[in-house]
Amino acid sequence: MLSPYGLDIIESCLTCKVRADRIFCDLPAAALQCFEGIKYATAYPKGAVLFVEGQAPRGIFVLCKGRVKLSICASDGKTLIVKIAEPGEVLGLSASVSGKAYELTAETLDPCQVNFIKREDFLRFLRDHSEACFKVAEQLSEKYNNACHEVRALGLSHSAGEKLANLLLEWSSKNGEATKQEPRLKLALTHEEIAQMIGTSRETVTRLFADLRKRQIVQSKGSTLVIRNKAALRLLATNG
Amino acid sequence: MESAPQSRCINCAQRSDRFFCDLSADALQAFDQIKSVSHYQRGTVLFRQDEIARGIFLLCQGRVKLSVISDSGKRLTLRIVGPGEVLGLSACLSGGPHEVTAEMMDDAQVAMVKRKELLLFLRQHREACLHVVHLLSQDLHIAYDRVRAVGLGRTRRVRPEPVH
Repeated sequence: MLSPYGLDIIESCLTCKVRADRIFCDLPAAALQCFEGIKYATAYPKGAVLFVEGQAPRGIFVLCKGRVKLSICASDGKTLIVKIAEPGEVLGLSASVSGKAYELTAETLDPCQVNFIKREDFLRFLRDHSEACFKVAEQLSEKYNNACHEVRALGLSHSAGEKLANLLLEWSSKNGEATKQEPRLKLALTHEEIAQMIGTSRETVTRLFADLRKRQIVQSKGSTLVIRNKAALRLLATNG
Repeated sequence: MESAPQSRCINCAQRSDRFFCDLSADALQAFDQIKSVSHYQRGTVLFRQDEIARGIFLLCQGRVKLSVISDSGKRLTLRIVGPGEVLGLSACLSGGPHEVTAEMMDDAQVAMVKRKELLLFLRQHREACLHVVHLLSQDLHIAYDRVRAVGLGRTRRVRPEPVH
């Protein structure tokens, strides 16, 4: 089915081709059948807000396609991006389990397909299917790991330069580029969004990038960034 | 005064007040079989950040400090946990390294369960698995609070209002 956003909607989890590659979705047949009965397949345009920080939990959102920006907000309006969620991730999990308010705001970065499950249905599903319960524990562990990493990166780095260098090294190590002499990475975020990931201003990020380019540590070609001098970037990441 | 800690969970008086420990008799008996109880001195490190998880530590008494350490050796305390808390749960479930360092702040009794035995126990006892999901959710809430405090807490110096 062709939708207005160019999204190919996967209506049924039972026939989903990518299911086996995704930690949460790879459920035994009985659990999957039950899951199929309680989920709602929905499509969202870019920029849609799935849930807002502080809102009472309605349920969980399984991200099938597209990326979602997860952020927290200070009372003065300053935003911090905690993570960019990729397909296969379950959002709103801890709030739905504990019944506490959503601790993050989730906003789509692309047109997305999201499977929504109501909180009561989800809790019943967890009680009935121990395999699913186990997978939820795994997902939560991964999120916890990410949150601790975030605290470490934000709390123990001195300067914005140190944080940006760390972020670029982290991205460059993701898609098999880590072993290359000059790793390439696609900058899928704006300077504003990168600033929100490392807790600084857009102007600082632009200035830092200009500085990195001037010192020939990185080179940009359109939205592709080439790390020319990995050793220098590493040094920046540890010393700021 | 709190009663002395028991080496067997089934005889523990505080059990019902503690989220993880409040299991059915059946599950508790199985848990008693797989856990080993030790007394640790103040200052003992239960596990270090980046170490592969061997198992979980269930704090029967005392307090433990959880901290993150940067490559350059700087340390930031994530939180202080008290009796009844389970430590090392997320690393154990994901099979990855510990994301924090846990250090004893008091002399206290700690029960330890090896990773392999814990995973088997959780698969056999659904209620324990549900408890674990709840505990992880709570840990995550606290971790995000820390992210908020650390990432957004720094206030910019406010310039004094110009005097007219």
